[in-house]
Amino acid sequence: MTATEPAGDAGLVIRGLSKTFPGQVALAGVGLELRPGQIQALLGQNGSGKSTLIKILAGVHTPDPGGQAWMHGAPLTLGSAAAAHHAGLRFIHQDLGLVPTLDVVDNLALGQRYQARWWLSARTEAAAARALLAELDPHIDVTAPVSQLSAAERTIVAVARALRGGVAASGVLVLDEPTAALPAAETGRLFRLVRAVAARGTAVLYVTHRISEVFELADQVSVLRDGRRVLTCPLAEVTPASLVEHIVGRPLEEFYPEAPPPGRDVALMVQGLRTARLRDLHFALHRGEILGIAGITGSGREEVAPALAGAIAWSGGRLTIGGRVVHRMDPAAAIGQGIAYLPHDRKRESAIPGFTVRENLTLPQLRTTHGWLSLRRERAEADGWLDRLAVRPQDAAERVFATLSGGNQQKVVLARWMRCGARVLALDEPTQGVDVAAKTMIYQALTAAARQGTSVIVASSDSEELARLCDRVIVLRDGQVTAELHGGGLTAEAITQQAMAAAVAS
Amino acid sequence: MSFTVPPVDTADHAAPGQPAAPRRGLVMRLGLDRFSGIYVWALFVLIYALWIPRTFLTITTVQSVAGEQAITGIVALGLIFALAAGAFDLSFATLLTMASVLSGSMMVDWHLPSGLAILLTLAAGLAVGVVNGLLVTKVGISSIVATLGMSSLIQAVIDRVTNGGQFITGFPSSFTDLASPKPLGIPILAIYLLALALIAWYLLEHAPFGRRLQATGAGPEAARLAGINTDRMVFSGLVASSLAATIGGILITSQIGSVSPTIGSGYLLPVFAAVFLGTTQIKVGRFNVWGTIVAIYLLATGVKGLQLGGGEGWITDAFNGAALLLAVSLAVLGQRRQGGSRILRGGLTRRRANRPATEQEQS
Repeated sequence: MTATEPAGDAGLVIRGLSKTFPGQVALAGVGLELRPGQIQALLGQNGSGKSTLIKILAGVHTPDPGGQAWMHGAPLTLGSAAAAHHAGLRFIHQDLGLVPTLDVVDNLALGQRYQARWWLSARTEAAAARALLAELDPHIDVTAPVSQLSAAERTIVAVARALRGGVAASGVLVLDEPTAALPAAETGRLFRLVRAVAARGTAVLYVTHRISEVFELADQVSVLRDGRRVLTCPLAEVTPASLVEHIVGRPLEEFYPEAPPPGRDVALMVQGLRTARLRDLHFALHRGEILGIAGITGSGREEVAPALAGAIAWSGGRLTIGGRVVHRMDPAAAIGQGIAYLPHDRKRESAIPGFTVRENLTLPQLRTTHGWLSLRRERAEADGWLDRLAVRPQDAAERVFATLSGGNQQKVVLARWMRCGARVLALDEPTQGVDVAAKTMIYQALTAAARQGTSVIVASSDSEELARLCDRVIVLRDGQVTAELHGGGLTAEAITQQAMAAAVAS
Repeated sequence: MSFTVPPVDTADHAAPGQPAAPRRGLVMRLGLDRFSGIYVWALFVLIYALWIPRTFLTITTVQSVAGEQAITGIVALGLIFALAAGAFDLSFATLLTMASVLSGSMMVDWHLPSGLAILLTLAAGLAVGVVNGLLVTKVGISSIVATLGMSSLIQAVIDRVTNGGQFITGFPSSFTDLASPKPLGIPILAIYLLALALIAWYLLEHAPFGRRLQATGAGPEAARLAGINTDRMVFSGLVASSLAATIGGILITSQIGSVSPTIGSGYLLPVFAAVFLGTTQIKVGRFNVWGTIVAIYLLATGVKGLQLGGGEGWITDAFNGAALLLAVSLAVLGQRRQGGSRILRGGLTRRRANRPATEQEQS
């Protein structure tokens, strides 16, 4: 090791970090420098080594011998959670680790301790919590149960808890895809928080899949690919296109595949649909069409796909599909009508995480021969579908679903419904939390399905995605359609404008 | 194929607590993981054969282990269905007693023919299962609470019928003949167990019903959205559990030839132990039929040897309890990442939530 030791004000410096798992090199000689007050974005596909890197920083994994790290010039032992914490490293994982039923005060106290030791006074505790949050976001109601907070507010509470104790002003805050579960409209609030944290002198490592966020927030960007750092540079030196190129390792001309022209026949007609959030929703969906549903959180956008699939109850309205009028819906009936629902919560709603890919694939339609469920036949059928949608790894059929990457999980669920002969695919946030490459694969699979006559509904908080993927987009406000965009008028700006205008008006 | 995503994630999750690659290969090849129960069983046989050859290596021992455990096995087969659907059944032990008491009382006190007594007892057991099922699926009570309450109600019926705990004896031979024959020296109860196990195995692992049942237990919301009537699955699981316990109660009455008002309580732990231990065998992480059977005979052999070697009464409970805790601990530690059964991993999820979460970890 000829490397000189970094200076005392250098922040976090890592050199030559490697990690080998049995049969797999996850990280190969990766370096990273984080200066105080800097917001550095870390990008990479699933499997690029991002999560391994973060886990080593957090002390979950021990790195291979040879890697070195310093915090403000003092050597830092990697692979020890205690050492990482002592050095001022704080982590916000995607699972925020908050207890939904407890209020903000208790959640903040859980991370550290209560103000008092023997007698807990609600007023003292609330005051302490308010003081803690004042700097970050004073608008949060500290007495509200965490379950009633918005997604952004929950993240802010988690950050407040992580930074509690004051160490972190000179420390490092690692945010692992904090916006993955956040509606687009709420990201601004989180970004203000991140900037405020950085302004105090804390170095921020911001892990994300969303390119647009990098340009909005970061001042430096690093990209990992196949366990190596392939790029670190100031933000000014990259463009979105060049970033994507570094992430996937080759230029991406076909990022958004051309959508096929939709047919004339109406595949599905919704009239006066009512649910908890939807009030009198009307729209028609054509054969082979990709229809986007836009709207801010609470506009009813997130209830369209589940309502069509009978996942949530209707309080009124009707749906016409295949010449039949339906007045109520449950999941089994929806499947029978050829409506498939792909929820955004893949872990809990899309699939059984502990089941194998094969079992998940065949679950809605189990085919028997003489009353016998043949595992070999299922396997052969599953292999065919996985091959068609290029699911990785190639022998995925007998793997546990939860071990697949997000994009591949989504493809398995897509294959499941295509196997059932779905005529309508209703997707809620289909690319949330998946990387750039997997996104492209999902888009390709959707356009391919549309080309074959399947109608697709995509509810998404990502305007860019809707504008480029869909033939037509309807914008919701207060559970009703307020705008319809198509052709030349269908742009990300127009969608955002309509959705926000709707928000301002309401 | 457009992009190759290296399987880092898989390696990533496999890493903590997993044996290194070469050792894992050997473990896989010998089946030391899925078939560990069979190896341990063989070890027990070997140890006891060397330690107490005179008493242990006899036909009587083999017959008594096979026969005595058949009832445990039959009741366990039913419990598998309830647990696989994600429902606990704590009422089966008292139901077993009730079936024993009812069938005995109907024949001795009411002088009903044995066939009719059996039918009526089965109907009573079915009714218990149906009520359990309705309480859990329609009313929405947690299965633990529902079956615990039911178990107390059943106890009241038992006390009433037996006048506060009197033994009933003197059954017609047509009834005791149900359990006593030994064709080719094999206790007929063991044959019943095998037959029921084959049926259970088909239903659970080779019929759509079983797949749906397991999906319901492993991910209720995802199962519902896949079009599965999850309420019906939970209901069926609880009914199956009650029916099996009723059959067990009838058979034990026939086998012993008398009714004890406390007979069932001795089955609660061994049956749970067998089913949970069964998840560490054959189909690891799942409630499964052959794993449960292996577990039962493993536990029975272990206990039998200790008894023959001069162990006292408490040894049975100690052995069953220790084996259950040890085996399930190992199973949970070994397959955390697999997300297997939620029931086994009670409480674990919350704790994991505070650890650095991985993208693909189950919720």
